[in-house]
Parts: sequence; C-alpha cells; structure tokens
Amino acid sequence: MVNLTIDDKQVTAPKNSTIYDAAKINGIKIPILCHDKKLKPFGACRMCLVEVEQMRGRQVPACTTPITEGMIIRTSTPDIIKARKMVLELLLLNHPIDCPVCDKGGDCDLQNLTYEYKVNANRFSDEKFHHEIDYSNPLIERDMNRCVLCGKCARICDEIVSFGALTFISRGIETKIGCEFEGSLNCEFCGSCVSVCPVGSLLARPFKFKARFWALTNQKSVCGYCGTGCNLTLGVKDNKVLTTVYDENQGFHNGQLCCRGRFGYQFINSDKRLNTPLVRKNGSLTEATWDEALELVAARLKGAGSSAAALATPRLTNEELVLFKRLMETAGSANYDHSAGYAHAALTEGFAKSFGAAASPATILDIQKSDLLLVIKTDSYETHPVIGFEINMAVKNKGVKLNILSDKRGKLSKLPDAQTLVHTPGSEIAVINALAKTILDDKLAAGTAAAIPGYADLEKALAGFTPEAVAGQSGLAASAIKRLANDYAKAEKALILFPIGNAYPGHNADLASAVANLALLTGKLGTEGSGVLCMAEKNNSQGAVDMGFYATSGLNAGQIMDGCASGAIKTLFVAGENPVVSYPNRAAISAALDKVEFLVVSDLFMTETAAMADVVLPACSFAEKEGTFTSVDRRVQHIKPAIRNIGQSRTDFEIFGQLIAKLGGQAPATPATVFGEIAASAPGYAGMSYASLGETGAFAPVAVTAAFVVPKTVAVEPAAGKLALVTGSALYHNGTLSQFGEGPMHVCPEGYLELSRTDAAKLQIKENDLLNVASAIGSTKLKARITPRMPEGVLFSPYHFGAAAINQVWSGAPVTWVTVTK
Amino acid sequence: MSEAVAQQAEEQEPEVDLSIADKVIDKYIDLPGNLMPVLQGVQDAYGYVPRKVADYVAERLNVYPSQIYGVLTFYAQFHLKPRGRFIIRVCVGTACHVSGAPRIVETFFDKLHIGHAETTPDLRYTFEKVACLGACGMAPLAMVNDDTFGKMTVQKVDEIIAEYNQRPMK
Repeated sequence: MVNLTIDDKQVTAPKNSTIYDAAKINGIKIPILCHDKKLKPFGACRMCLVEVEQMRGRQVPACTTPITEGMIIRTSTPDIIKARKMVLELLLLNHPIDCPVCDKGGDCDLQNLTYEYKVNANRFSDEKFHHEIDYSNPLIERDMNRCVLCGKCARICDEIVSFGALTFISRGIETKIGCEFEGSLNCEFCGSCVSVCPVGSLLARPFKFKARFWALTNQKSVCGYCGTGCNLTLGVKDNKVLTTVYDENQGFHNGQLCCRGRFGYQFINSDKRLNTPLVRKNGSLTEATWDEALELVAARLKGAGSSAAALATPRLTNEELVLFKRLMETAGSANYDHSAGYAHAALTEGFAKSFGAAASPATILDIQKSDLLLVIKTDSYETHPVIGFEINMAVKNKGVKLNILSDKRGKLSKLPDAQTLVHTPGSEIAVINALAKTILDDKLAAGTAAAIPGYADLEKALAGFTPEAVAGQSGLAASAIKRLANDYAKAEKALILFPIGNAYPGHNADLASAVANLALLTGKLGTEGSGVLCMAEKNNSQGAVDMGFYATSGLNAGQIMDGCASGAIKTLFVAGENPVVSYPNRAAISAALDKVEFLVVSDLFMTETAAMADVVLPACSFAEKEGTFTSVDRRVQHIKPAIRNIGQSRTDFEIFGQLIAKLGGQAPATPATVFGEIAASAPGYAGMSYASLGETGAFAPVAVTAAFVVPKTVAVEPAAGKLALVTGSALYHNGTLSQFGEGPMHVCPEGYLELSRTDAAKLQIKENDLLNVASAIGSTKLKARITPRMPEGVLFSPYHFGAAAINQVWSGAPVTWVTVTK
Repeated sequence: MSEAVAQQAEEQEPEVDLSIADKVIDKYIDLPGNLMPVLQGVQDAYGYVPRKVADYVAERLNVYPSQIYGVLTFYAQFHLKPRGRFIIRVCVGTACHVSGAPRIVETFFDKLHIGHAETTPDLRYTFEKVACLGACGMAPLAMVNDDTFGKMTVQKVDEIIAEYNQRPMK
C-alpha cells in the first residue's frame, strides 16, 4: 500500500494504482470521460487533470499518472476547475447541442459534466462536424458528430471483444472513429461500444425514442440465454422491458454482455407471446380458460404411470424443474429429461464417473488466473461469448497461453499466439487420448495419478493412441500433439474448456472422460486457475442436472421420442423445449409428436412443437419469474420478477403447482419454499437461501472423487465424394429462443452453410448462393457463406432455425456426410 | 448489395494480383512490428494500397482491417486510390508563393483538368500542392517524380506536360 494525500485527506491505495483509482477507492470523485475500469488507461479527454505538489503544481491527468509514496494531490483547485471548464468548452465547440432528441440525455457524461461545471457559455466558436450518421444496421447507430474521441469504443472492441471493428481514422481535427474504408459496422453486435460511449455517438437503435433514461425502472436480473450466468439490468417502463442498461459494477463480467444478452430481450414483450391457454377442438387450437386446460392435462396425467413423459427446457428455474419432476412422480412416471437426452451426458455420465460429481471442477473466474487454456472447439466463443471475452482478456492482458483443439478455426484462433490444432471432424477424443498417452510416455504425469482408481486400465487402453497412430486419422502432425501434451502438462496452471449442447452430440460422456483424464493425470485440478470447465448450453442447464431433471430410472429424451412413435408414450408434456427444431432428425421427431395421443406444451410462443399440441399453456419468461438459475460453473443466482405476467400467462412454477394440486398432491406455495428443499437435498447447495445468494449469487462447491474412465472412441469413416457437416451454435443465437429476440434476428436471420474457399471454388459456389444440402435422412436449402476458417471438406451450420432447418439433414451424429449442390 | 452498387464497387477496385502482396508479406512476416514495412512495400508494388490488398494484409498479418485503415489514413505517405505514373508536385511554400506559385498551380489545373491530390483518368499524372521542397533559391519550383524544374513559368508548364506526355507509361 502507498500513502498519499488527496485533497488534504490522508489516504492509502494499492501499489500500481493511478491517481484516479486511488481517489476512487477513497471516495473522491474525479470527473472523466475516457476511463472505464475494464480498460487500460488512455488519457484522451483531459477532464481528470489534477495538481501534484511534487510536480511543482503541474496539472497531470489522474487516469494515467501512477501514485508514489507521499504524493500530495489536489483534485479541485480554482486552476483545475478553470482547466476542466476549458476542456468542456473545447469539446462543446464541435459537439452538437441536440440533447432534446438525443437518447443519451440524462445518462450522458458530457451533459452531466457541462452542468456540473456550469459551462453555460463558450468563449470559442467553430463549425460543427458534418459526418454522415450510420444507420446501416438495425442495432447500433453511429453519430460521429457527437463524438468526443475518448476512444472507449475502439478500445473495448479491441481489448475485451477482440474484434476491432472501430478505430481512429485520420488525424488532427479530421480524426473520427470509424470502420475500415469508412464502411458500415459489420461486427459481432455485442454493443460493448454502445455501453461505454460517454455521449450519444453510439446508440442502441431498438431503444431509440422508446423512453427517457430517467423514466426507466432498473430491474436486476440474470440473462436467460446461455449458461454463463451474466447479470443483466433490465430497463422497464409500463410493464415493458425496453432495453438493457449497462452497469459496470454488475457481475463477474463487469456489465459486459454479448449480442443476445444486450439486444435479444425483445422476446419478453413480444407481440407473438401466447396470451391465453389453447385447447385443440375439432382439429384446431382454440382459446380456453386456464381451468379447462389444466383440467384436461390433469385428467390425462392422473394415474398415467409410465405412459406419461416430460421434456423440459433447461431455461426453467431450479424450483420449476423440481416441481415438474414432482408432477411427473405424482403422475407415476419417471420419464423426464431435457436437452435431447444426450446434450447433458458430458456432465451426468462423463463427469459423474470421472469426478464423482455431475459438475465442472472449475469456474469462469479461473480463466484469467490460469497459465494455459486448452479450448476444445473454437465454438466455445460462439456458445458463450462472455466466457469468450474472459479468454480474450486472459490471453491479451495476462499472457495466458491459448491452445485450441478444433475441427475448424474461429475467432479464438486469431488471438495473439493462439495455437490451433485443426483435426478432422469427430476425431477429438482420439486426439485427447493421444495427449494422455504422450503425458504417460514422456513421464509428465503427476505423482498422485497412479493412485487414482482406473489408472492401470487407462494405461492399457491408451496403448494404441500414440501420437503417430492418431496423426493419420486426425490429420494432425504427431509433433503437434506431443508439443501440446508437453505444454499442457508442464504449465503450472492449466484449464480445459469445452461447450456442450444440442448441436454438439460429439461432446458427450466420452469426451468429458477423456478431458477429465488429462486433468487427473497431470493433477491440474482443485487449484486456482486449473481444472475443467464444461460449458452447458442454456441458462440453467447445470441447474437441471443438479435438480436431477434427467432420466435415471425412466426413459431419456431419445427413448421418450421412440416411445411416442411406438405408442408406448401416450401423454407428453413439453415445457419450453422445441424438439421439432432443436432435436436431430426433424422428420422422425415430427412423426413421433404426431403419433403421441396427447401433447401438452407450455411455452412463451407458438413454436413448431406447440403448433402440434392438444393443449398449449402460455408460460412466463425469466423476467416475470422468481427463482434461481445455476450457471455453468455452479454459481447459483436469484432472480426476481422485473415485470408482471404478460396476458394470462403463468409461470411454469404456478402451472406445475396447480397440476400437482389437481392430481391430489401437495404443492409448495412459493419458489422460496422449494429452494429451501433444494438447499437441503441438492449436493453443494447446502446452507443456501435466497437471502444468502444476494446480488452476486453463490457457488455450489464441487467435491471431486477422481477416477479414470476409458473413453470410447468411434472412428469416423469418411464417405467418398461427400462433405463432413458439423453442427453448432451461431454467435448471435442460443437454442431456439433467440429466434424471438429481434436483435439476434436482425444480425443473423436464417440458417447458413459455411464452407471453405477451396470447396467453394471446386463446386463453383459464390457467397449467398442457395445450396441444396442432402444427407441420408433428408435435405434442406441453406445460403452459402464462404469463410477462410473452414478446412477443406468440412461444412458448418448452426441449428437454431425453424425454417430451412439443419435437423432435416442432421440425424444426431457428430459428423453428417452430405452432398452439396447448387 | 444491389447489382448497380456491386458494379460500381468493381469499377472502383480493379482486380489486383495478390501474389505481389504475398511477396512483400513473406519478406516481413516474422518481423515484429511489420505492419509499416508491409504497407510501405505493397504501396511501392501497387503504386497505392488497394482495398483488397489492405484486407489481404489484415488477414495474413492477423491485424484488424480497421487498424490497417487507421494507419493508412494517419500517415500522409499512404494512398488509397491509384496514383499517376508521374507525380507533379508544385511548391506553394512562402518563397514559391511570392514568386508566383499560385499561377503555376492554376495552369496545371487548367491543362490537366484535375485538382489538388487528383489523378488524370488515364493514370498518367497526379497533381499535388506541397508546402516546401527545400529549394527556395529555385522558386517557383515544380517536381515531376524525381526531376526538378526551377524558376517555373506558365510557358514551362506546357513544355513539361508535352515532354512527359511522350514518356512511356511503364
């Protein structure tokens, strides 16, 4: 700690602080425009000038000047105030005073400072800028006339997002912020630049002219898309969520959000939301009362036994999932599952066997504390963009080494010194085994490894996985495999990350075991910065696993679908899932749902699945609920309703509770009661209560009982003359819900097929050509996207879309062999 | 992109041979801080920095395209449009100004039908006013590429243009 005097006050601050930081932690406010706590000091705006006695009273910028022992600083002498006033006068010289129509009004740093420093006249005069306003995209408006050149947008896009869409163009008075060749913004649309803009230069277009900033009620919540568990502040007015509000002090991510988190909220108040229960009469869904609809469902469930089954989306709260499970148990059925049945296997089978717990023994906070990251699939960025930002920051700011094992290159491959090993699709488990084999052969295993059960079996099973043997099938050089194994084993702290989800059938129990073996062999577990992080797809995927909402004694999702097709399942209750789009093999799923006698769907929207139902129940979004979500790293977070229920919709908690009561069971009164039960029974949740979770949530610890498990490897046989299609997530989407978020749909409105330049040239395909993609089970039409990241012979397509859906050709295999024609 | 816009873009940006850029990039690829020498190299090779080349440099050096554009617009030495075979520079510094440089400039404008920092459609000439060429004793001064013409007169403008019209384009 360093001792110094600020404004005649004796204070202390940590070494390496700047004057600005030291003042801030001691409660002294220094005005500034170009500073953000997440970004490196820049010193652009000159508003933070202070006087330092040791520098003979010279005015220095507080944000870039490091503190020294005994420094005597004055932050608001008459000279300083005069200087700041002049800075404001100079900024206002070119800044248009169009505050009445500027959406930033009331939340504008420049406006607030102008008011605070009483700059009511300007001694100078000059022309305003005449830059053209960029309205070219529907999400971010760029008005460079208002810009004060603080550079925060360009810096955040580089330092955290690592996209680099914006930069300083030209110099001197002509300097402005813009994209290459003065083009329009064509980026990830995460809106980070909008969030840090101190003026109205960068604005969220969906919020334009919706409400004045001060008319909004800010409601804290947790994002309802992916499993990262980002905290959100929803801007609410008249029971409508109108925007997301940036709060730099919120969550581990300091308010940083991705495209869907920031711009995908519109589904909450969408016109397409279901308002009343619907019951199928004479073949068509007609409006009904809640009583009528619930009576019908209760009658079907009562005594249904194993002829009833349930599928839930892991977007439901923990409390709802517990209640749904109880409803099925009351009906006498153990057939319940989520995420297509296979998408949680990495946790529920893989980690459950290898670690003795169906959860990841690492947290998101470990990423920046590690020395080496091994990321399985570059898609980790697309599936969990805010975890991607953590990786960006770890690599760029902390010098963490990044190794990627993937079937294609991606955003993460572009990070400084990132090593990407691009293997043939479907060979990742073999490669990971080869890494383990190298660790054993090169005597890199930790001393503790041999004592872990299953060591001998693993050693024997890995015999055939020498790097040389795997090199052939994986398309990697044996030396590259050896190098990676050595780097991983020799790093003091190393963390492995991999995504799971409906679109990643290859990321299964075996992959999880293979990865766990690496960590166990080298002892990279249980310490800060080390471990394995399995990134589950939806906001409460980990919670669904923790609540035990998956098949243990009953049928899993796949078997439930088979049961529907065979007639064994007569009543199917689907809460929030949309299997027609999100499960593989659309034709088979549609046929099964067609066959099932009675289909109940509770959802926010009339999805493809709901359209087939006999009873449709309008459910509530996360913004209308109370409950808890558990993120990928088992951070349990409490959400409260931000708005009242839309229309007649009810929360799934109410729906399941009322059905339990109708079946003669005892329904808990509030989510809090259920959370009390969870805290008493779910492993790791002991001692938690809504009060103890607070605003930041609490981690449910993971107790590891290690065991080596031999992963099965299935060799992918190339099909002659065909291309390998791998499915996955698009950056702007998550599951099928984001189809109802306007932001994501503006940027990425439809499915596409990514292919390499070589394949495109061979097949004479041009960008945006409509392609016919055909596999053994069917065909679909997708637009071509030619990208340098795809290796020859490999195709990629995201799975989120109802129209021209990829599950018409994808049967659920990790690699689908397809032909592509124009 | 509509067809008309696409066509316009095509016209503005003729096909460029990226293998020339490859040679320059290969030379500097392992050098830390290689962006400036690469951009200078491609400008030398192409006469300017075409957009396609800038994008290609971004891809090969793993630098944001925006950052490259930032550098290209920061330094006056980089040109984003094709430049003429002959760069005519007329000094308008103090000494040249008082000895009649404005009239020399006007005459060039009239004869070549282009303005400051513009290029003739046949890509033969680019005209630039410059602040000082450092040879005030020869004012008013003009330069064509590396050839210097001192004590310029309006008549000499005709002679210079006549002479360089005869020179080969390659």
